Amino acid sequence: MREIVVEPLSRVEGEGGITVQIDGKRIKDVRFDIFEGTRLIETLVVGKSPVEDVSIVCRICAICTLSHRYAALRGLEKALGIEVPPKVQWLRSLMHLGECLESHSLHVFVLALPDFLGYPSAIAMVDKYREEVMQAMALKKYANRVMEVTSGRMIHGENPTVGGFGRYPDKETLLDFQKQAKDLVLFAEHGADLVAGLEIPSFFEEDTVFMCCEPGDSGYGLVGDHIRISDGEVVKVEKYKKLTNEKFVSHSTAKHCLYKGKPYTVGALARVNNLGDRLKGRAGTLYKKYWSERWLRNPFYNNLAQAVEVVWALEQIPRIVDNILKENEDPKIVEPTQKDGEGVGAVEAPRGTLYHHYKMKDGLVADANFVIPTGQNLEDCEKYMRKAVEELLKRDSDDETIRLQCEMIARAYDPCISCSTHMVMIER
Amino acid sequence: MNREKKSVGLYGFTGCNGDQLTIIHSADKLLDFFESAHIKSFSLAKSDNDDSELDIALVEGSISNQEQAEHVKEIRKRTQLLVAIGNCSCYGGIQAMDLGTKGWDRRFQKVYGDGFLKLRTPIESKPIDVFVSVDFYLPGCPIDADQFFFCYAHFLQDNTPVFPDYPVCAECRWRENDCLLLKGILCLGPLTAAGCGARCPSNNLPCVGCWGPMKEANVGSEFHLLKEKGFSVEEIKRRFRIHTGSGMMKPLKKILGVL
Repeated sequence: MREIVVEPLSRVEGEGGITVQIDGKRIKDVRFDIFEGTRLIETLVVGKSPVEDVSIVCRICAICTLSHRYAALRGLEKALGIEVPPKVQWLRSLMHLGECLESHSLHVFVLALPDFLGYPSAIAMVDKYREEVMQAMALKKYANRVMEVTSGRMIHGENPTVGGFGRYPDKETLLDFQKQAKDLVLFAEHGADLVAGLEIPSFFEEDTVFMCCEPGDSGYGLVGDHIRISDGEVVKVEKYKKLTNEKFVSHSTAKHCLYKGKPYTVGALARVNNLGDRLKGRAGTLYKKYWSERWLRNPFYNNLAQAVEVVWALEQIPRIVDNILKENEDPKIVEPTQKDGEGVGAVEAPRGTLYHHYKMKDGLVADANFVIPTGQNLEDCEKYMRKAVEELLKRDSDDETIRLQCEMIARAYDPCISCSTHMVMIER
Repeated sequence: MNREKKSVGLYGFTGCNGDQLTIIHSADKLLDFFESAHIKSFSLAKSDNDDSELDIALVEGSISNQEQAEHVKEIRKRTQLLVAIGNCSCYGGIQAMDLGTKGWDRRFQKVYGDGFLKLRTPIESKPIDVFVSVDFYLPGCPIDADQFFFCYAHFLQDNTPVFPDYPVCAECRWRENDCLLLKGILCLGPLTAAGCGARCPSNNLPCVGCWGPMKEANVGSEFHLLKEKGFSVEEIKRRFRIHTGSGMMKPLKKILGVL
């Protein structure tokens, strides 16, 4: 029996690995192993106040810190009967776009691109692709700055709080964000073209299901109170357990998810596949230029979907800044109207739909449940790795080829392992 | 002067990866960081990593399974200097907020049921100095990039960085913020090590204590002040625990013992 083991899987966030077991020409097992340490975060937030909760849950993950905070805020505010004014909503959108930009540019240009161009890291690409690497860094720096200003720090900023913000950014800073976004969009387009030029192997293509938040205003967006599924269904976020059906597997500290018994994909690819025809401007042009039905069958297009979303986010920011600036008054923090209640908050984290579900009692968290994008993608990721190994075995590929293909598929999903790991797991 | 480049390894155990990301986020300095030394291991950023001898090991994250405990011991054996970066590594982080309260088995059961992990043997999350000796502690959740590069430059020159021994309150004063404690808000500034630049109080929000305890902090005084302000003992204890686990609780225990 052959065994191909990747441990640890590099250039992903968190501790994971891949195990492929082959018996002659037959696959015995293909696993995306998750061995990130257990943190038991759901149990730690019980008994905490809402502001303490958001300070804890944002620290589930450093890349998706604001998505966790945002999902928690949405869930907690529903449970506590808080409605925030428009300026708060717009500023939250801005911080969320900052994170989406940061995460995507990190993944596309620093973590994934080296695979396609045959380098061990983005740093090693500098000699030949200096301009691209420097531009990607500039883009990332801009996104980090948006996150820093809106949230109070690059990572785990406490400024977005229950009921509003501690402080609002000044006009000059916001106008500067607007101007820089307009400059950076040119590179972002070039970056998308670069990613679109990469050869995408087709030998493991297979249909799947896509899921994302339905923004509800017939536009493209990253939050919603409904979930849109590629089979045409639209479901309220409160019914999230019916969509995700978490199950336990023994090789992962993150739970796997199935929709109607089938694996599914969340993230940029799911959003572009489900909502891409709503994209306008340069992002819309890129979508029309590059989207094909292969996007429905091949996870590698996630990289290009992320590159398209980078352009979309940069086009959104000037519009959102305008909306923030329309509101002169900085709203005071809105206080809870009730101490007991229940709420589900869903946002699109960079890697896909993130749910935070809270039950509140006497103003404190009585129960909490989080469903994480990477956990939802694990089953689909394993499906594609298995298919790839099957096909490669037919061609008598060597271990090195199998290893690299599996790594690239895993990395295309942009797994965020810290995030996914806080979950239940029982011996299969 | 021509010095031999030092060998450096970065390792991430249990946590959010925010400390390694803080280094990656320092876009302009990142290329210099990679050129300043032989970066032997940094699996978040590159795939050609090895387990060779090191001059400096930078370790993020808490230890939450037997395998990680063995790994950090193995890193200790092949490095001259071992630096704990970030609160998880220094204090155990948020996942160790209840360390020492004996509730871990029950909480583990609640999340993981009766099943067990096939690939790892989980233990209650602990700071790395429970398992190895640590040469330098760089706290923060996450670390501050300027503070990190300040320290890192010292390490490359075989020097030990010296940190200010004052609380967030000092930085808060320099920024001319109004005192939140005086407004009756539960702020941990007086107890928390400086280094963040008093970010939260500067945003009109209380310090949550994410830099860990300041040495010599007057925990008793803050505790009594908060009680006078009308906060319950339960709430004060809860806040003290969240980011620093048992760090701030040890002195509090002494006080609560004589209450």
